[in-house]
Amino acid sequence: MATQARTLGASHYPTRIIIYGLLILWAFICLFPIYWTFSTSFKNAVNVTQGHLIPWMDFVPDWKGWRSVGLSPDTIGQTSTAREEFLKRFENSVIASLSASALAVIIGSSAAYGLSRFSYRFGPMRNKDISFFFLAQLILPPVVLAMPFLVLYKELALLDTRIGLILLYTLMVLPIVIWIMRDQFDTIPLELEQAALVDGCSVWSAFLRIVLPIALPGMVAAFILSVILCWNEYFFAALLTSTNAKTLPVMVASQTGSQGINWWSMAALSAAAITPLIVIGIFLERYIVKGLTAGSVK
Amino acid sequence: MASVDLVDVRKAYGEHEVIHGVSIGISDGQFVALVGPSGCGKSTLLRMIAGLEPITSGEVRIDSKVVNDLEPKDRDIAMVFQNYALYPHKNVADNMGFALQMRRVPKRQIAERVKRAAEILDLVPYLNRYPRQLSGGQRQRVAMGRAIVRDPKVFLFDEPLSNLDAKLRVQMRAEIKELHQRLKTTTVYVTHDQVEAMTMADKIVVLHDGVVEQIGSPLELYDRPANLFVAGFIGSPAMNMIQGIIRPGATPTFEAEDGTRLPLSSAPSNSDGRKAIYGFRPEHLTIGGPVRTEITVIEPTGSETQVVARLAGQKIVGVFRERISARPGEVLTVGPNLSSVHLFDAASGQRLQ
Ligand SMILES: Nc1ncnc2c1ncn2[C@@H]1O[C@H](COP(=O)(O)OP(=O)(O)OP(=O)(O)O)[C@@H](O)[C@H]1O
Ligand SMILES: [Mg+2]
Repeated sequence: MATQARTLGASHYPTRIIIYGLLILWAFICLFPIYWTFSTSFKNAVNVTQGHLIPWMDFVPDWKGWRSVGLSPDTIGQTSTAREEFLKRFENSVIASLSASALAVIIGSSAAYGLSRFSYRFGPMRNKDISFFFLAQLILPPVVLAMPFLVLYKELALLDTRIGLILLYTLMVLPIVIWIMRDQFDTIPLELEQAALVDGCSVWSAFLRIVLPIALPGMVAAFILSVILCWNEYFFAALLTSTNAKTLPVMVASQTGSQGINWWSMAALSAAAITPLIVIGIFLERYIVKGLTAGSVK
Repeated sequence: MASVDLVDVRKAYGEHEVIHGVSIGISDGQFVALVGPSGCGKSTLLRMIAGLEPITSGEVRIDSKVVNDLEPKDRDIAMVFQNYALYPHKNVADNMGFALQMRRVPKRQIAERVKRAAEILDLVPYLNRYPRQLSGGQRQRVAMGRAIVRDPKVFLFDEPLSNLDAKLRVQMRAEIKELHQRLKTTTVYVTHDQVEAMTMADKIVVLHDGVVEQIGSPLELYDRPANLFVAGFIGSPAMNMIQGIIRPGATPTFEAEDGTRLPLSSAPSNSDGRKAIYGFRPEHLTIGGPVRTEITVIEPTGSETQVVARLAGQKIVGVFRERISARPGEVLTVGPNLSSVHLFDAASGQRLQ
């Protein structure tokens, strides 16, 4: 047995090397931009333009980028308008993403539950058509909506407000949440709820005590995905916000001044902006996978 | 404890009616088995009693009270679902205790009752496991446990033993019967296994394509099936049936299609030349009689001998207490037990005599 396994393993050795080689290459391609962003935040102009890559060998890292946003060790204790600006944008991003995602998950789950459990008729449209109608909203390029939203928000006095942004982002991620959650609810057998009804639950308590806990991993996954999408959104944020409700992506983009691009401060900002996503990616990825691989219920 | 009455209950899915006016009376404490082939509407009927399926027309009464519009939770019933329907996020103990928890039974009492049910069902070692960590049979027992921890007015069982192995099924059959004798709770028990129905029930309802074919005690159904369907469904091995024509007269006989004559004790009136089905059960044959059959298979089991033979061009089965030394291919003369011969009308399938 043992020798057999060993010979088998040995015969697969070359394939393994190739597979691992390809994986390493792919990981390198994926991680390089992140590395470049973080390393650039420690470079000065010369190092950026000359393409120096390896700290302490190619270039001597310094805090220039981080100092410009008031986040370097020597500036962190002092008052800094740049840092205040950054923190404000960061806060906007956090609040807009989290609130919009929470709203979308609540509204979207309710809609998805309805679509999964009851038969609707809306003119000639049945459940399937309604679901597709929701998803079809994603096909529309945002540019088409730019003018209408601008006019609408101006009328409603929602321009440059967090509320406006939250509402818009909710709308933006709702189709995806509905789609994910409908899939989740579809995998939960109807008999489970019926058993709960017989066991003494009302329709609502059956939903809250039985359906919701089972669908929770899916909800978490939908929430995380929504947060990521909202966090990265640029177009509408640039269009509808200015001094008050501006978000991080807009601030990062605005670092391209008239004297050229401030690579170091832009890199520092970008690094700060993607850090939350990296944390999500590393720590919560398994929840996303678990939630999206249906069939958690058998 | 309660009586359950169905009065002309109908169920339609859209245009398509699947239950065509079923009326069943179940008195307090009775154990009623609902049997029928797959797709005949057993589960649908049970779910209508439970309140999980709206009733298209007719009435369901529990304790003489019409419950058509009552929520399932207010009907005070316990149900075992065909596919278990265990809560995947709760362990065995919580699954069994959930109904009690919903009825605000004190925690200590819940634990006690769950433990007692687990002992009956051999589930004590599994109380902390989750449903996905159990085998099919164990899940089924948890589903049973979820019903029996309660003290409901009515038990509804939807094929609760279908996934158990033969030994466990017989054991659980006895457990359920004993449980019923102890609790005397009105029970509706759905099964497609007629042996289960015969051995457990006080009363059997035979359902076929959404219509009640016959209601009666197990032996009534066995001895006087109302029609061909019940005759063929109840009993194992199944009743032998020969097509032919009734010939009344001084010695009434039944003439099979190939001319073979089978004895009758008497002919129903007005039945001369009537096309009919001649039915007799395998164990109602005696060796040595007026009928010649050709043996095809002999299966001795020790206590009895089962013989498959050809009679009037059709396959029949006989079960005999005595041992038979004949071999396949040889002729065996037999005689049906005249008092146990059933005659059915060929066209309508209804019992003639
Ligand atoms: N939701 C539904 N829509 C349309 N037809 C249905 C629906 N549910 C059940 N039926 C039909 O109703 C009939 C009765 O179904 P039911 O589940 O009661 O059968 P059953 O007797 O329990 O069968 P089995 O022994 O296989 O469980 C079947 O013909 C089925 O196709
Ligand atoms: Mg069924």
